[in-house]
Amino acid sequence: MSAKVSPIREPLINGNKTYHQITEDICAPTERVPSLPWVIGFIVAVTGLALYVFCLAWTIWFGIGTWDLNRTINWGWDITNFVWWVGIGHAGTLISAILLLFRQKWRTGVNRAAEAMTIFAVACAGQFPLIHMGRLWLAFFIFPYPNTRGPLWVNFNSPLLWDVFAISTYLTVSLLFWYTGLVPDFATVRDRAKGLRKKVYNFLSFGWTGSAKHWQRWESLSLVLAGLSTPLVLSVHTIVSFDFATSVIPGWHTTIFPPYFVAGAIFSGFAMVLTLMIIARKIFKLEDYITLAHIESMNKVILLTGTIVGVAYLTELFVAWYSGYLPEQWAFYNRVFGPYYWSYIGMMTCNVLSPQIFWVRKYRRNIVITFVLSIFINIGMWFERFVIIATTLARDYLPSSWSYYTPTWVEIGLFVGTLGLFFTLFLIFARVAPVIAIAEVKSILKTAGNQYVGPDAIHHHHDHEVKTVAEEIKAIK
Amino acid sequence: MDNTFKFESKQKTFLLGGMALGLLCLAITFLTDDSLHTRFWTNYLHNVTFFTGISFMSMFILSAFLIAWAGWYTYFKRVWEAMTQFMIVGLVLMLPVVAGVWLGFHRLYHWADADSVAGDEILQWKSSFLNPTTFTIASVLIVAIWYFFANAFRKSSLAEDQGDGSYDQNKRQTVLASIFLPIAGFSSAAVIWQWIMSIDAHWYSTLFAWYCGASWFVSAIAITILLLIYLRGKGYYSDLNASHLHDLGKYLFAFSIFWTYLWFSQFMLIWYANVGEETVYFQTRRDEYPALFFLNLGINFLIPFFVLMRNDTKRKAGTMAFVAGIVILGHWIDYFLMIKPGALHTAHELMGHAHSATADAAHAGEHHSTILAGFHYPGLLELGTMLGFLSLFLYVFFNQLAKAPLIAKNDPYLEESLAHHIEPPYTDTF
Amino acid sequence: MAATVNKEVLYGVYDDEEILLDAIKEAKRAHLEIWDVFSPFPVHGLDPLLGLSESRLHIAGFIYGAIGTLTAFLFMTWVFTRDWPMIFGGKPYWSVPSFIPITFELTVLFAAVGMVVSFYIVNGQGPGVNNAILDERITDDKFIIAFSVNNYSEEEKEKLSQFLSGTGASEVLTKEMPA
Repeated sequence: MSAKVSPIREPLINGNKTYHQITEDICAPTERVPSLPWVIGFIVAVTGLALYVFCLAWTIWFGIGTWDLNRTINWGWDITNFVWWVGIGHAGTLISAILLLFRQKWRTGVNRAAEAMTIFAVACAGQFPLIHMGRLWLAFFIFPYPNTRGPLWVNFNSPLLWDVFAISTYLTVSLLFWYTGLVPDFATVRDRAKGLRKKVYNFLSFGWTGSAKHWQRWESLSLVLAGLSTPLVLSVHTIVSFDFATSVIPGWHTTIFPPYFVAGAIFSGFAMVLTLMIIARKIFKLEDYITLAHIESMNKVILLTGTIVGVAYLTELFVAWYSGYLPEQWAFYNRVFGPYYWSYIGMMTCNVLSPQIFWVRKYRRNIVITFVLSIFINIGMWFERFVIIATTLARDYLPSSWSYYTPTWVEIGLFVGTLGLFFTLFLIFARVAPVIAIAEVKSILKTAGNQYVGPDAIHHHHDHEVKTVAEEIKAIK
Repeated sequence: MDNTFKFESKQKTFLLGGMALGLLCLAITFLTDDSLHTRFWTNYLHNVTFFTGISFMSMFILSAFLIAWAGWYTYFKRVWEAMTQFMIVGLVLMLPVVAGVWLGFHRLYHWADADSVAGDEILQWKSSFLNPTTFTIASVLIVAIWYFFANAFRKSSLAEDQGDGSYDQNKRQTVLASIFLPIAGFSSAAVIWQWIMSIDAHWYSTLFAWYCGASWFVSAIAITILLLIYLRGKGYYSDLNASHLHDLGKYLFAFSIFWTYLWFSQFMLIWYANVGEETVYFQTRRDEYPALFFLNLGINFLIPFFVLMRNDTKRKAGTMAFVAGIVILGHWIDYFLMIKPGALHTAHELMGHAHSATADAAHAGEHHSTILAGFHYPGLLELGTMLGFLSLFLYVFFNQLAKAPLIAKNDPYLEESLAHHIEPPYTDTF
Repeated sequence: MAATVNKEVLYGVYDDEEILLDAIKEAKRAHLEIWDVFSPFPVHGLDPLLGLSESRLHIAGFIYGAIGTLTAFLFMTWVFTRDWPMIFGGKPYWSVPSFIPITFELTVLFAAVGMVVSFYIVNGQGPGVNNAILDERITDDKFIIAFSVNNYSEEEKEKLSQFLSGTGASEVLTKEMPA
């Protein structure tokens, strides 16, 4: 099938790759002795993980009294971190699922790592609701199972329980989707490996043979999983937003929360993908596969979702005024001018203003600016959740119960610790699995490789003459 | 194949007949109406906003697709370009409503009635947004800006046909699209608040603008499907294949679900929190308009969801035409349900205040317990009016379509679009 | 004992999927019975040539999803209307809007898990499965058309090899596969 490709499309694979070269390039990081940057990164990440375990033990041993939460501000860093991590965990499935349905070819360069990141971020997110219950050893109470307490069932009408179902379903489905994509690539690694590695990868590759019928089912499965995951991604952050929006607390109860949370989640997820991929492409020398065209596309998504989030912020402010409902107006007045005004400023600058520089093509394609901005957005989106949670609670109905809150070292340690957990998992993933979907990149080579499309293409796709990849390369040389 | 659409006199006559029917229905409505002509004006506003929104969404679709490097739609993009041209007609049609807000010859908006505002603290509070000046700006200036972009976009697209093979016009369109999108994102909310949400002047919902927008989007896709099937039947767009239809079907399917998602989010949050100021909106609709309330969900969600779930149904012209037709009607009913209850309530309030004999009589006839055609369900006059506006929309569309080549022959994505093919299934005939 | 006879496979190795597709077309014209085709990635246009019917996985997925929908919705209904009715926030016992989120999640969960499990079962794959690999370069850059030649005479095998080379195969090899 010599597909027709528009002459103005930019190539997504550079360096005149052959199929074999793709295998070599992407498998290489799993076959080498770890590089020094990886080792240093891993040590730092494991140190963070140790801090997490320590703070977790401290919280369980002494109780959540070691946190600075009080009766007025009863959700603080814990739930802020939860929502932040869940949000980050949206980009992977979005890239794999929605972009697959939209047939955006640039997804193949980043989907694998983004999906892995999703799973690790959701795993980090899942920690916080469990810890914040206080008595972690009773966490299984959240599941509906026949019990000796009545039988008293869990409250199916509670958004907090919906969260349990949403997060666990999301984690499961993302994991299956990710692993199904990984199986053929593990087979590639298996067929190059020797000895014990071969045994390990043979186990991981589930006995993949590459038969035509298997590929057909694999594609069908991927498409349906993408179709299922798309509303699933939307539902997860929607349900997280329900935790707030079903309440009657001014500042939380607003109908725009579901889509606005989803847009924010995609926004922060893409920022985290950029942060990771800009480092990964450098360390693992994958610049030919994660090109400036990929980065530009992701920056466009960031600009779009950042602006949607901006529209939502302003809509909320406007409707708070428009409603004529005094407590609502007071809540928003406090967001902007209240004791936590600084976090509102942080949120607005990082999330709405800073991405606007991506209107300029030159900046969208600048790696340093993109990296710095992705960090900005990660910070801004953390502020957003803090603004929604802490500033709203800090000024409740009774002035006598107004309060202020600063985290203790335990809460900070838990947050920094989950970063350690996240990076530990990600660094292990990058060592043992191909960070780019090998089979999928090969399948777009002839429609997105720079020897076939773009200004350096060496022959036009109108030609009916059949050429092999190897012949293409010969022709260049 | 024929690259120019010929707007035949037979089609013209047919559509003019449809418009005449619409005018007749409007006239009958006006004459048999209550003293405030509530039914007439709500029908008018309902159709103007619905069809103008569809036109606006075609521009939105064109911009978004161009920016996202979609290529598959290029073959028939002139259809959307022609659809955007209805916006200027919508603007003109909106002028009587705008004039009425100033002069008071209609009572669509509670906030436009000075006496009501004087005795209502909330309306006084909102009057710096809900006032004739802001309404005029939203209806005239904002729509004019949208039209400006649509027009410039179309001009550039037509200039490309005469082009020299460079991609300058494509770049120009990209620039226009990327300026239009954020403007559309911000301003459509303001327009929707003014035109529709402010009918229930006390009520508010932050999600409302996005919800209305989704409704427009689905309707625009549905109309596109019907038009393409019609044009192909007439012998135009003969290279349109099942994969093009399939992708449009995916959009219809996905955005019907998206609309349902927004519907549910808005309803569920208001139902759950049960804040009186907000709940009243859904309570009125569920208790006094139960048939339409559930019908709305049934035909806008269940039908597209179950019919279009399979691949093969999205590739059959007959099935797609059926679903698209149903969905357009469904979203028209959705707008009916957004507009009528609030306007009827306003009419009750105003006639209740007036204490004149005629008003009392009208009021008695429209008491909550009675079910009224044109308010509690769309009567024949409403359907006739809708057909009239639809005919007008189509007339403008065909007229514009005939003015330019059907295929943008120099568009850099055209070849991709012609070769568009999704597998499986493996054949592209339909 | 007959069941343990190994499968004798003769296969042609191709360097490019377009040559592969042409070769399959040739094979069809020559009425050759292809055992299987292997590739490093899904090759488009291959399925109709091989006469593979469309996968029915998505139908199974729909059924699994429907089971999930019913499980979630009926279970919550039973709990809150029969087993232990409770009023939350002044809402009725049977609060349909509140049941939607969990119903949706379980629909997706059942459909996804069911489909993935079915996929590996029908493929004969899974953790710990050791399938014989025809050629280790399949997962790298080679495309393979394989014939099962147990019943072929030497002469037929020779002709088949010539056919494969003639259609652009860079190598023609044989291998014994466990049946």
